[in-house]
Amino acid sequence: MSRFHVLTVLSLVALGATSQAQPAPAVVAPALSIPSTVSAINSPTPMSQRVVWYQIAAKYDPKTHTLEGDETLTYHNLTGQPLDTFPFHLYLNGFQPKADWISETKRDGTRDVDFKKWEKSYYGADEIKTFEVVGQGDLTSQLQFIQPDDDNKEDHTVVQAKLKTPIPPDGYVQFKIKFHDQFPETLERTGWKRDFLLAGQWFPKVGVWWHGGWNCHQFHGSTEFFADFGMYDVKITVPQNEVVGASGIRVDEVNNADGTRTTTYHGEDIHDFAWTASPHYRIMDDTYQGTMGPIKLRIMMQPANWSQAQRHDDILRNTLDRFEKWYGPYPYKTLTMVDPEPGSAAEGMEYPTFITGGTNWFVPKGIKLPELVVEHEFGHQYWYGMVATNEFEDAWMDEGINSYSEVKVLDSVFGPRTSVFNLAGATMGDGELQFGSYAPVADLDPIARNGWEYVDFNSYAGITYGKTAIVLLTLENIIGEDTMQRAMHTYFMRYRFTHPTKDDFLKTLEEVSGKNLRWYFDQAFYGTQVLDFRVMKAESTPEDWYKDSFNEDKAKKGETEYLTDVIVQNRETFLMPVDVAIKFDNGETVREHWDGQTRWMRYVYHKKAKVESVEIDPDHKILFDRNNFNNSYTVEPNGTATSKLTNYWRFIQQFFAQMLTWWLV
Amino acid sequence: MAYNLNLISNGASILGRTKRYIIWFFLLNLALAWFGASAFKVHAARIMDHSLYADKVLHGMDLEVVGELLNRPELGGAEGCVASATHFALLFFVLTLIFLPGVLQGYASDHRLPRDAFFRACGRNVWRFFRLMIFFLIIGGIVSGILFGLQAGLGKVLDKSQSNGAVPFAANLVCLLVIFLIMTGIRAWFDLAETDIVLSDQNASRKSLSFAWRMMRGHRVRLVWAYAVITLLATIVLAVGVVLWNRIVPPASVAGAFIVSQLMLLFWLTARFWQRAAAVSFYLAQTAGREAESAPVVPVLAA
Repeated sequence: MSRFHVLTVLSLVALGATSQAQPAPAVVAPALSIPSTVSAINSPTPMSQRVVWYQIAAKYDPKTHTLEGDETLTYHNLTGQPLDTFPFHLYLNGFQPKADWISETKRDGTRDVDFKKWEKSYYGADEIKTFEVVGQGDLTSQLQFIQPDDDNKEDHTVVQAKLKTPIPPDGYVQFKIKFHDQFPETLERTGWKRDFLLAGQWFPKVGVWWHGGWNCHQFHGSTEFFADFGMYDVKITVPQNEVVGASGIRVDEVNNADGTRTTTYHGEDIHDFAWTASPHYRIMDDTYQGTMGPIKLRIMMQPANWSQAQRHDDILRNTLDRFEKWYGPYPYKTLTMVDPEPGSAAEGMEYPTFITGGTNWFVPKGIKLPELVVEHEFGHQYWYGMVATNEFEDAWMDEGINSYSEVKVLDSVFGPRTSVFNLAGATMGDGELQFGSYAPVADLDPIARNGWEYVDFNSYAGITYGKTAIVLLTLENIIGEDTMQRAMHTYFMRYRFTHPTKDDFLKTLEEVSGKNLRWYFDQAFYGTQVLDFRVMKAESTPEDWYKDSFNEDKAKKGETEYLTDVIVQNRETFLMPVDVAIKFDNGETVREHWDGQTRWMRYVYHKKAKVESVEIDPDHKILFDRNNFNNSYTVEPNGTATSKLTNYWRFIQQFFAQMLTWWLV
Repeated sequence: MAYNLNLISNGASILGRTKRYIIWFFLLNLALAWFGASAFKVHAARIMDHSLYADKVLHGMDLEVVGELLNRPELGGAEGCVASATHFALLFFVLTLIFLPGVLQGYASDHRLPRDAFFRACGRNVWRFFRLMIFFLIIGGIVSGILFGLQAGLGKVLDKSQSNGAVPFAANLVCLLVIFLIMTGIRAWFDLAETDIVLSDQNASRKSLSFAWRMMRGHRVRLVWAYAVITLLATIVLAVGVVLWNRIVPPASVAGAFIVSQLMLLFWLTARFWQRAAAVSFYLAQTAGREAESAPVVPVLAA
């Protein structure tokens, strides 16, 4: 063989060897995705951009109130940029003595517990046992607690994972998390009481990428939650004697050999998942024909409250009717309403397609509090559930807008003066209730404030619920009920299944009304200005008062000329136009329009009649005037109302004096 | 049962012939409450008398308006109204303590008690009644403290084990009924002691207490039963009065509401005096029997 031939052969052999030395092609993992199923909604297509898919298997031990969880979270990066850090909420860690939730609640108060003394049963925890990123390995040891809102290192309600490899835009990542929950004895509407459990905020939940960054706040005393839309597939294993209810639709139920039962739920286009278990529930099932399809109503009552099941069903149906007509369709196939364990702090809470009511074994029909709670929590299916605002930063956008629609619904069902209380001659409407919660805290905080920055819980509640409701009701009176309804409908349809901001809402109101409402928004939403109109003076003086011959007592009615002087005043700093009605004793009523931009306004009349009464805002359009008593003035006093109330007070005193003497002497 | 009826009906007949005492105490109760409520009336009038908004409590009872009124700073706050009401209630209590001995003396008398005898009885016994009241506070306080403590403990046990809210409610009602009956028994005991202080001119309150305790032996149930029946009657009248007030009196009728409410209070006051009259009647019956027993038997010598 010539040298050439040897070289050729060697080259060919080398080429062949090189070819044979190339590594085998990599095994390609199946591509991650989030399904587009629509089995849990009455829609042919998904309603939201599904960012997350939670697949969770949870086993609950009612003896120790603990839960072992196995979570697979598939996340779709729709942020437009690569992501290598992911914060997760661990809300149950808020129920520890030095966490923000407990320390702020101890300082500012809350709706449930006063924390005079720390009980072991208050302790809650959501502990991540293992944290794996598929394709990147176990990152458990890399997890770090972070505190985005303050420097409280003892607060472990947000944990952050830093990935080895960023997830590209439009890419998917899958987290496999094993976690262990210790539920508290119901705090903030989650936890156990006797043999009942309400599991809310119970699994590690990824934050929301919003406006260019992660929005994942710590769990504060007066804040709620914020999460992305997606899908949930949850298997819940509990003892077989437990009756379970949850978000979404029930797809399977299996009795296990160890005496437990596993129930599987599936939810679509929702951003949270809650569930409950108790051996005691009695179930009422009903179907409501929604505009998009049938909705299964599942009402889970405590046995002692069974007589009120129909009341709960009725208000759900009435509320669905109004919401679908006024705002838009309810697209889910289910709604579960839970009557929680007596004495548990689990009443009055909302989760997507799952709400808790609040009642007692004896509530007369004239007291509408059970209906109010159910209506309010259902309303959150729209304002929070579908229009998924940031409950940390804009608590008013779900609580306040929902309180506004609560007044509208309850007034339409039960009448505006009797929508909360109508018993033994005493009445109260829901709008009045909202005013009552607002008035004591009127000048403390603006509506547009981060939820954890209110001065205390009373201000948070009074401003986010009460003030927002009456500010919106007043706006409705300004722009007209039809216009307001169109605006709310537009807002819902435009922003459902998204995370709108306050500007989105306020701009929608302006756009639909066609009015510049910035003067109102700046004061009502962003400011702490208070409104207090007052009739300062209403007096008629005879024009001929100076004449010796004049005797007013002998003057004939209708023949004497009077100079009437009326002064109305704005005592506070909220500036707004208002009507004033001046009534004379000849039956005439003069109506003036005051632009409200000055401290006071004087009206002078020359008439053959005396002023009888003056009323500011005679149509009662303004619902947040701090003092309603001084909005009107009658020249002749009428002491009957005072005498009536004094009579009641006197009766109470006499009875108290007699009872004191009855026992002691 | 005939004995029971005598206790209640004897008490009623004593009341019938001494109506003036109830009238005076009722007028005292009304007058003091009138003064006690005057602060509220003056401040409320300034807020409401010239306001159209007040119509909401005149032709109905709008609770929000009432709440708004009570929160007005011009009213002086709830504390101011409650303070003046409490002071006048205490004054009524003190005046009852002072004048009650005269009432008991009048109950025991078979003729109209002259005014000077009435006030003598009051003056002689006011300090004794005060000491007896201290005893009641101690004994009643300890007993009621124990009973309410047991009730709270039962409540905690039921709360841990009961999902049915009606069960703790029913249990509380039963506990309150038991507490009421036991405290009524203690009240009856002290009423008898008061009667003994007045009628025996007993300076030592402790001796009256032990005498009354012994007197009750064998009759405790009957006494408590008589007191309970009178209280039940008064409660029924109160409940009927509330219904009438709500259903029949027009919302804007101040005179109608005043008449109905005062009639209810008059009967409530009468019930307590009825109990005291029943105690006096029992005391007289018991001591009359003892006097008959203790009178020496004079032997009749043969002629």
